[in-house]
Amino acid sequence: MNVSREALQDTAGRSRLRGCAYLLGEYVAGVVTAVATAVPIHALVDRDWDMVVAMLAGTVLGTAAHLVVLALLGPLVGFFHVMAPGAVVGMYGGMLFGMRDSMQAVSRSRAVAVAVAVGVLVVAAVQLYDRALRPEVERGPRRETDS
Amino acid sequence: MIDQLRAKWDRASRTYDWTTRSDEFRFGAAKRHLFARMRGRCLMLATGTGHDFQNFPPRLSVTAIDISPGMLDRARERARAYEGRLELARMDARALAFPDQSFDTVVAVCTFCSVPDPVRGLRELRRVLKPDGRLLLFEHVRSRLTPLAIMQDLLTPLTRRFGPDMNRDTVANAERAGFRVVREENVYLDLVKSVEAVPA
Repeated sequence: MNVSREALQDTAGRSRLRGCAYLLGEYVAGVVTAVATAVPIHALVDRDWDMVVAMLAGTVLGTAAHLVVLALLGPLVGFFHVMAPGAVVGMYGGMLFGMRDSMQAVSRSRAVAVAVAVGVLVVAAVQLYDRALRPEVERGPRRETDS
Repeated sequence: MIDQLRAKWDRASRTYDWTTRSDEFRFGAAKRHLFARMRGRCLMLATGTGHDFQNFPPRLSVTAIDISPGMLDRARERARAYEGRLELARMDARALAFPDQSFDTVVAVCTFCSVPDPVRGLRELRRVLKPDGRLLLFEHVRSRLTPLAIMQDLLTPLTRRFGPDMNRDTVANAERAGFRVVREENVYLDLVKSVEAVPA
C-alpha cells in the first residue's frame, strides 16, 4: 500500500515538474518570438522610414517570426500556449518595434533587452488572463447576436 | 473533395503524434473531466491516432470513426489497449452510416475545426444521438478577444492547407444544428473549450 502511494506521489511529482517546465517553456517561446521579431526589424528599419510603413513592416516581420517559432516550439510547449502570446508579441510587438525604430536610433542590445521584457510581460499577461477566464460557464441557449 | 480531405489527414497522420504530444499532456486532465460524462453506447468522431482512448472511462462500448485510413492504422494499437469495447471504422462525419438515435453519447475532439460543413456534420450527430443523449465537444474556437481573433483569421488560410481552421465558432454551430449547450468551460483562454450539449 505504501509502495503504491509512493509511486502515485512520484507520478504526481513528475507531472507537476512537467507542468512547471511547460510554463517555463511558454516564457522561452514568448521571449524567442519577441527577439526574433525585434532583431530583423532593428536591422531593417531606420529613421528614414515612414512610420506607417515601418509599423506595417514590423507587423509582417513579427507575424512571420511568430509562425516560425510556433512551428519549432509548438510541439515542445503546446501549440495554443505558444500561439496566443506569440500572436500578440509578433503582430502587435512587431508594430511597436517598427514604430520605435523609425523614430529613434537604439542599440541592438537595447532592442533585444526591450524585446525580452515585452516577451515576458505578454506571456505573464496571457497566463493571468487565462486564469481569469477559467471559471466554468453554465448557460442556456446563446442569443443570436452572440454568434 | 472527400479524397483531398482524406489525403490531407493521411499526410498529417505521419507527424500527428509528434506535433500534438504537448497539447495531449496539457489538456489531458480537462479531457478526462469531460469524458467522465460518457455513458452507454458512445460514438467518437475524428478519432485521429487514438490519443484520447487513454482518457476514456473504462468498460464503455465505443465506436470510433475517422475519415483517414492513415490515422486509423495508427489508432489500432491504442484501441486494442482500451479496457472496454472499442471498434474503429472509416467514415465521414457528415454522412454517418448509423440509424437514427443509435448513441447515448457522442464525443468530438478538435473535429469541427476540420469538417468542411460543420453545421451539417453536427446535424448528423443530432440525428444519431438519442433524445436524452449528450454531445461532448472538446474544440478550439475563434477567440472573442479581438487581437487573438485577428491572428486566428490570418492563420486560417495557412493552417487549412495541412490541418484545421483556427477560427470556427463551433459552439454557435452546435446551436445552429439543433443542440442546447448546457455547460461550456474555458480550458485555455477562450480558445480551447470543453462543451456539453443536449438535443434542443
